[in-house]
Amino acid sequence: MKNVRVWFEKKNTARYISHLDLNRCMSRAFQKTKLPLWHTQGFHPHIFLTITMPLSLGMSGLRESMDIRLIEEISNEEIIEKLNGALPLDIRVYDVTEPVMRPSEVAFASYEIDYEPENASAEEAKAKLEELLTREEILVTKHTKKGPKEFDIRPYFQDMQLYIREDGHLTASHRLPISVNGGVNPTLLRDAAARYLDLDLFEHITRTCLYNEKMEIFQ
Amino acid sequence: MQISNQLEKLLAKVQKPGRYVGGEQNSIIKDKTKVKTRFAFCFPDTYEIGMSHLGMKILYGLLNEREDIWCERVFAPWVDMEKLMRENHLLLYGLESGDPICDFDFVGFTLQYELSFTNVLNMLELGGVPIRNDQRGENDPIVVAGGPCTCNPEPLADFVDIFFLGAGEEVDLEVIDLYQKCREEGKSRKEFLRLAAQIEGVYVPSLYQVKYHEDGTIESVTSTDGAPATIRKRVILDLDKAYYPKSFVVPFLDIVHDRAVAEVFRGCIRGCRFCQAGFIYRPVIEKSVETVSRQCRDLCASTGYNEVSLSSLSTSDYSKINELLDELLTWSKDDMVNVSLPSLRVDGFSTELTDKIKTVRKSGLTFAPEAGTQRLRDVINKNVHEDELMKTMDIAFGAGWSRVKLYFMIGLPTETDEDVTGITRLGQSVVDAYYNCATRPKGQSVSVTVSAAAFVPKPFTPFQWEPQDTMEEFQRKQHLLKSSITTRKLTVNYHAADTSFVEAVFARGDRKLCAAMEEAWKRGFHFDGWDDCFSLEKWMEVFEAVGIDPAFYAKRRRSFDEVLPWDHLDYGIQKKFLIEECKKAYEAATTPNCREKCSACGAACFKGGICVEKRPSVV
Ligand code: SF4
Ligand code: SF4
Repeated sequence: MKNVRVWFEKKNTARYISHLDLNRCMSRAFQKTKLPLWHTQGFHPHIFLTITMPLSLGMSGLRESMDIRLIEEISNEEIIEKLNGALPLDIRVYDVTEPVMRPSEVAFASYEIDYEPENASAEEAKAKLEELLTREEILVTKHTKKGPKEFDIRPYFQDMQLYIREDGHLTASHRLPISVNGGVNPTLLRDAAARYLDLDLFEHITRTCLYNEKMEIFQ
Repeated sequence: MQISNQLEKLLAKVQKPGRYVGGEQNSIIKDKTKVKTRFAFCFPDTYEIGMSHLGMKILYGLLNEREDIWCERVFAPWVDMEKLMRENHLLLYGLESGDPICDFDFVGFTLQYELSFTNVLNMLELGGVPIRNDQRGENDPIVVAGGPCTCNPEPLADFVDIFFLGAGEEVDLEVIDLYQKCREEGKSRKEFLRLAAQIEGVYVPSLYQVKYHEDGTIESVTSTDGAPATIRKRVILDLDKAYYPKSFVVPFLDIVHDRAVAEVFRGCIRGCRFCQAGFIYRPVIEKSVETVSRQCRDLCASTGYNEVSLSSLSTSDYSKINELLDELLTWSKDDMVNVSLPSLRVDGFSTELTDKIKTVRKSGLTFAPEAGTQRLRDVINKNVHEDELMKTMDIAFGAGWSRVKLYFMIGLPTETDEDVTGITRLGQSVVDAYYNCATRPKGQSVSVTVSAAAFVPKPFTPFQWEPQDTMEEFQRKQHLLKSSITTRKLTVNYHAADTSFVEAVFARGDRKLCAAMEEAWKRGFHFDGWDDCFSLEKWMEVFEAVGIDPAFYAKRRRSFDEVLPWDHLDYGIQKKFLIEECKKAYEAATTPNCREKCSACGAACFKGGICVEKRPSVV
C-alpha cells in the first residue's frame, strides 16, 4: 500500500463544485479509471480519498491536492493520464508526488485577488482601501457556528499590498491563515470595504499555494 | 462554457450556482462554426429534476452523435437566478456554449406534467424567443415539444410550432433532416412546417382549425394545407436496435436520480384505468436481457456510477426479470455496481428478487394499492388483492424492512366514504401484519405512511369523460381520512387539491386555454409545480381575466359522443375500447393484463411488441 498526493487545478466551471460534490466527482472519476485504489472497509465500502483544505465555492485553485492510497504499483504518468480522461475539463491533474507533509500541518494559504470596483475607479478604490488598512481596527461580521461575531481583520490584512496591473485591474497577492475550522477568508476585506467605505467590490479569487506554520510550501 | 464576467457576478448571488455553469463530465462541446443545426433541449423545471430525466439523456446522446448537430441542455433558472437575469438582461443560455437560446435552430421542450407549461413560456421569453408561434419570423428558432403531455397539447397550441407524438428517437432526426434540406433550398418557415406535418408523429397545431359549439364544446377540428386529418404517434418497435446512450452527463450537484439508468421495456402490460402512461405507451415492447446488461455495463464504465437502476413503468413485470438479474450479477459484483429497481409491484415481490437486489433500500419500501377497498380497486382495474399485499408485507417485514409507504388516490370515480376510510383500514392491516410477523426485525417499531393524492382525470384513459371531485369534496374526504386513523404507527399524508385542480383543467383543456396560458405568462407565473410558487387564487384571477370557467374543464362530465380536444391525435387506443373500459369500471369488472389476454385495445395497429407475442395460454 502506498500513499500518494495528486495535484490538480480547479478553474472556470469547476469553481462551482462544492467540497461534497468534489469528493463525489473524484470518487466517480477513480471508479471509471479502475485504478487500483484502496477502499474503506465496512458495510458501504468506498474509495479512500481526502481533499486537502477544500476551496470555497467560486474560487479558482492552482495547486489543489488530494491523497489516495494505491494497492498496486502504478506509474505517476498513468495516474495523471487516466484521471484527466475521467475528469471534467475544468479540473486538470498535473502531478503526482509522495506526500511530504500531513494535510493537518497546513496553516496558511496564498491568494491572488482581482478586484473589480463597482462604484469607483481602480485608482480610487486602491486609495480608499489603503487608507482603510491603516486604521486601528477593522471590524467585520463573521458567521461562525455559534452565530454572527464581530471580528477584527486588521492584523491579517494590514500588510496587504495593492497594485494596479497594466490592464488597469486592481489586484493583490496575499497570505492568510487557513484551517479546517475556518481561518481568515480573503473575502472579508470586501465586506469591510462595503461597511466602512461604501465601496462595492467584485472579486475573482485564486488560491495559489498552501504553507505550513513555518511558511514552507505544502508538499 | 466559458463563464463571462457578467454571469460570474450573478452566480455570486444565487443559491446553487452549479446549476448554471455546465462543464460536467461527458457534456458535449462542439465547434459551433462546424455544425449545421443547433438544438436547445429545454427541460421546464430545475436542473436537478431535469438532469434526472431519462428521455433527455437519450435525445442528447442521439442528436450529438450526429456530427452536424449540436444539442445543448437548458433548464429553468430558479426564481433567484431568474430575477437576476432579468435585472441584468442576461438571456437564457445553453449550458454547453453559453449562447442564448434565440440563436439556436430548434428549441425543444419535454412536457412531463401540465404544471410545467408556464415554465415553457417563461423560458422562451427569458431566452429571447417570441412566445407565440404566429409572432416568430424566419430568423427565430423552431419551437418543438415532446413528452407524455403532447397527447393533449392543445393548451400550448398557440405557442409551439411542432409537437412530436410518441417516441422521439426517429422523428426528431427526420424533422431536423427536413429542416436542413429546406434551409439549403431556401424554403420559408411556413413551407418547412407544412412539409414537416407530412411526417408521421408530427403535429403542427397551426395547420388545424378548431370550431366550437355555443356551449363551448368542440364542433370540429379540421386540417388545412394538406396536413393529415389525424396524427398517429410514433413507436420504436425494436428496442434492441434503437439508439441508447453509452454515456450520461454526470452532474456535480446532487440530483434526484444520480445513477445510471437502463430502460428495460416501454409501456405497461396493466391497464389501470386512471393511468395515462398505461395507455399512451402501448404496446409493451421489451429489450432483450443481453441488450439491457450491455447498456448497463457501458453506462457504468463511462460515468463511474456505481448504481444502476432498471427503469420502466412497472419493472418487475419484465418477462425475464430473474434472468436479467442473474445476468447483471455476473459482472456487477466485480465492478462494484449495485442494481436497484425503482418500482415494485405487490405481486412481483419475492424473496428471490430481494436477495438479488440488495439495494432495494431497507429504509423505504413503497407500494401503490391506489384504492382502499377491493371494490374500488376493481373499478380502477388495479389488480392488487389484500391477501397478496399482506403476503408481501410478511415477506418484507421478515426480510428486515420496517418502513412502508403506501400510495393511494382519492376522488376516484364511484368512490364512497367507505372506500376512503378503507385506506386507513388497509394501512392499519399493514401495521398489524408487522406485529404478526414472527421474524420481524427485533427491537424496531413499524412505520406506515399512507399518502393520498387527488385524482386527476387524464386524456386517453377510460376516465377521460369523468368530472373531478370539487374542492369541497376533496377537503371533506381528506378530513375523513385523517379522522379515521386510530394508531400512531400510521401517518397520513395528503396534499392540497389546489394544484390537482389546475392540473385537471390543463390536462383535458382545449385551445381556448391558450389565452389563460398567455395571461399567466404575462403575470409572471412560473414553477407552478412547486408549492413556493403556486397560487390557486392567482390562477382563478387569470381565468376570470380571460373569461374562462375552469370548472368546464375539470368538473364537467363529458358525454361519450362529445368531440374531445385530443380526438385528432391517434395513440393506437380506440375510443370504443376506452368507452367499454369505462362502462366496465362502473360494474367493477376487471380487465386482464396484456400478457394474460389481449383485450383488443387498438394498439395492435403498430404491429409489434406484446400484441404480436404468443401467450402461454394460446400455444
Ligand atoms: S401498473 Fe398501472 S399504474 Fe402502474 S404504470 Fe402500469 S398501468 Fe400505470
Ligand atoms: S392490442 Fe391487445 S396486447 Fe396489444 S396493447 Fe392492446 S390489449 Fe395489449
